[in-house]
Amino acid sequence: MIRIFPSLRFTPLLSAAKPFCSSSPTREPQQYASCVEAKTAPVPNSLSITPKTPLFLRTPSHATSLSEVWKWHDWAKDLASSVEESSKNSEDSLDPVILHRELKWLIEDSIIDDPLVILHRSEIADGGEKNVKLRASLAELYDLWRQRIEKRRPFQYVVGCEHWRDLVLCVEEGVLIPRPETELIVEMVEELVTSDEQYKKGCWADLGTGSGAIAIGIAKVLGSHGRVIATDLSPVAIAVAGHNVHRYGLQGMVELREGSWFEPLKDLEGQLVGLVSNPPYIPSDDIPGLQAEVGRHEPKLALDGGFDGTDSLLHICHGASRMLKCGGFFVFETNGEKQSKMIVDYMMTNDLKDYFSDLKIVSDFAGINRFVTGFRL
Amino acid sequence: MLSLIIRRSRSRFINGTKIRTCILSSSNSLSEADSVLVSRRSFNSTPSSSYFGKINRNHVSTTRSLSSEAVAVASTCDGLTVERIIANQWPILDESESDWKSHAAAISQSIQVIKRRLQWKKLLVRLKVLSAELNKPDLWNDPNHAGKISREHGSLTGKMKGVMTFERELLEHIDMLKLAKEENDSELESETLKALIDMRRVSKEKELEALLSAENDTCSCYIEVQAGAGGTESNDWASMVMEMYKTWAQRRKFSVTVVDEAPGEIAGIKRATIKVNGEYAYGYAKAEVGVHRLVRISPFDSGKRRHTSFAAVAVIPILGDGSTRVQINESDLRIERFRSGGAGGQHANTTDSAVRIIHIPTGITATCQNERSQHMNKASAMAVLQSRLDQLEMARQTAMNAQHTQSLTEISWGNQIRTYVLHPYRMVKDLRTNYEVTDPDSVLEGDLDGFILSFLSSSLDKDDPGH
Ligand SMILES: C[S@@+](CC[C@H](N)C(=O)[O-])C[C@H]1O[C@@H](n2cnc3c(N)ncnc32)[C@H](O)[C@@H]1O
Repeated sequence: MIRIFPSLRFTPLLSAAKPFCSSSPTREPQQYASCVEAKTAPVPNSLSITPKTPLFLRTPSHATSLSEVWKWHDWAKDLASSVEESSKNSEDSLDPVILHRELKWLIEDSIIDDPLVILHRSEIADGGEKNVKLRASLAELYDLWRQRIEKRRPFQYVVGCEHWRDLVLCVEEGVLIPRPETELIVEMVEELVTSDEQYKKGCWADLGTGSGAIAIGIAKVLGSHGRVIATDLSPVAIAVAGHNVHRYGLQGMVELREGSWFEPLKDLEGQLVGLVSNPPYIPSDDIPGLQAEVGRHEPKLALDGGFDGTDSLLHICHGASRMLKCGGFFVFETNGEKQSKMIVDYMMTNDLKDYFSDLKIVSDFAGINRFVTGFRL
Repeated sequence: MLSLIIRRSRSRFINGTKIRTCILSSSNSLSEADSVLVSRRSFNSTPSSSYFGKINRNHVSTTRSLSSEAVAVASTCDGLTVERIIANQWPILDESESDWKSHAAAISQSIQVIKRRLQWKKLLVRLKVLSAELNKPDLWNDPNHAGKISREHGSLTGKMKGVMTFERELLEHIDMLKLAKEENDSELESETLKALIDMRRVSKEKELEALLSAENDTCSCYIEVQAGAGGTESNDWASMVMEMYKTWAQRRKFSVTVVDEAPGEIAGIKRATIKVNGEYAYGYAKAEVGVHRLVRISPFDSGKRRHTSFAAVAVIPILGDGSTRVQINESDLRIERFRSGGAGGQHANTTDSAVRIIHIPTGITATCQNERSQHMNKASAMAVLQSRLDQLEMARQTAMNAQHTQSLTEISWGNQIRTYVLHPYRMVKDLRTNYEVTDPDSVLEGDLDGFILSFLSSSLDKDDPGH
């Protein structure tokens, strides 16, 4: 199934759908769209999805007395501290130190005044009478913090955003919260394009873009000539990614296309200078045992990589041989030691062995062999 | 000696016409007999042009006297200098007494204190060295070095000129006052007296400023507190010390951000780093480097016994863009996820993205965990690492110049600087200066300036054999 995403909402210029890096004649995007309609009629259209507004972007319309906010803050602190006793012995437990930090960020995101009026109340004499402007009602703040601790709802869904590199990305249920490890993909691309300007001019693709994190990060390091096509099968992801692209004013550089892996990129065969992806890579058997925040709240579509976790990765490796042009660069994120080695072995043997050079395994900051990189011969 | 200085020059307009000018004399003829003194009153239709003309010549002559190594000694028309004023030992009365000699004596004393704090003789020698460097034809072959030299030259010249101008101003006022008395010009006399009182006030501020005139004093800084051995009680003390600095900094209108914080198991902190942003943050905070000792009945001891705990404080300047900083090689760094473990990647959702950066050649590390993304934590930790390496390099150079022997980067637990006693009596005492107060609460709430200023003045005032 394929759906080109010529969203007028996010890409006001239809010309954006016509890749400038393509020199060979391409079919009109509409043709894809029409052949998809028939097959995928029940799939909700990403155009009809309106991304949620994260807390920090809401209007501070809730005037609340400071003493009430303090009361909430005390309650929230106590709740955060109480997890210690209740879950000390279990593997998958909340850490009160981290919760206290999250609480501080929740306050920073919900208040327009200086957060210190809440965090450092001792310095404010008789401040309790004062009103502060909040971006959510106090009732909602109680509810949000309870969800965080009792439902194990990820903090980033609670506040509706994730700070990633120097970006603040909107996220919501249905879209994977970008991980710190993945920042390194952008770093590797940055290193490459600063050492070789050629890579700044060509067309890049981010497969399974989720919130749009990698695509936006890359577009920013490519500079004004950059062009990134970001794909995802999930309409929610496409809608949220579009919103994020818009927020960073990158509509002219990042184009979103809805569909499975390479299907929306048929017009670009042999033309990409770069291909990046963080596809789902968790083995199916591991899914039930995942950390509560992940297993209970994040989309399976973004996590489940099939039997040994490599279904999507292998598919993408094959696609890379077709889509990249000579000298084109790729980086994929993997599940770690075993998987990265397996991918490299796979690319060095079988029918892929003549397509790639300089295959490398790169580790993340925790020392786990996280990424596979290389070049198209 | 060729250099010329203006012994005195003063113009003054009363109704726009009255001008008095003292004329150039050569700097080695300081005695009254030698000096050419021309004092006159004239009616000049364009006073302002001649006034500014004087200012300019004045400026030029100062510069020349500088570069030609002469240290000009300013004096009044009748040969009074700051040193002589001090030697005269005129009694210093209250500011409200309208006795010009008392004002002059007070101001002269301040000038002496300021010079001592600026390490005047060393400063002049250093300026001579720098001027010589600046005159080398191949100076700009190494632009980095040249930039450094010319910046230091500029800043020292500024300091020197500041004092000399102040000194000259004092002597001019004295001249003016004598003239006013001579001519029974009571308006001029009272105005001059007022000017002297103003100077007296300003001189007190300048004394303080001179305390903060070392190379990096204007910089922002990191303050780091580390708990000594002793578990929870020590960790609690470390967090009290950190709170003390946070409130002190806020009172001084510095901005404070927490960079790194390792909490204790039960209470307090094992270690923490804050960034203190603002002018002169380092100049003040550096006075706090060392070990702080607390004596109290520990709230964590069910037996209610008295405990002694320690916290070590380090302060690191954040050098400005202008200064030369240590070049860090990417390949010399190892970057680690701080709290790693587990499969990571898609398996883990955490808001904890702390990183630790290790500079392999020196073993120096920096950690940051308070930013919301790994990228920002890394950037923030890099900034700390950079400052640590800069400080190490400065310490190395200072050791080479053999000025100070103790490096701030190494906190030795023997280096106790202050004791805070909450029981059996209440007192905070600085072991370096013997400065003490009997209200520990106010100190712990950030009222530290008394300690800081007394330490800065004692360390500078004892340091200089020159005056
Ligand atoms: C692990 S997430 C990565 C999201 C994002 N790139 C990031 O790093 O934060 C994997 C993404 O792949 C998408 N995905 C799953 N199956 C796909 C498919 N067949 N075609 C395209 N995208 C797919 C998911 O919707 C999800 O957004």
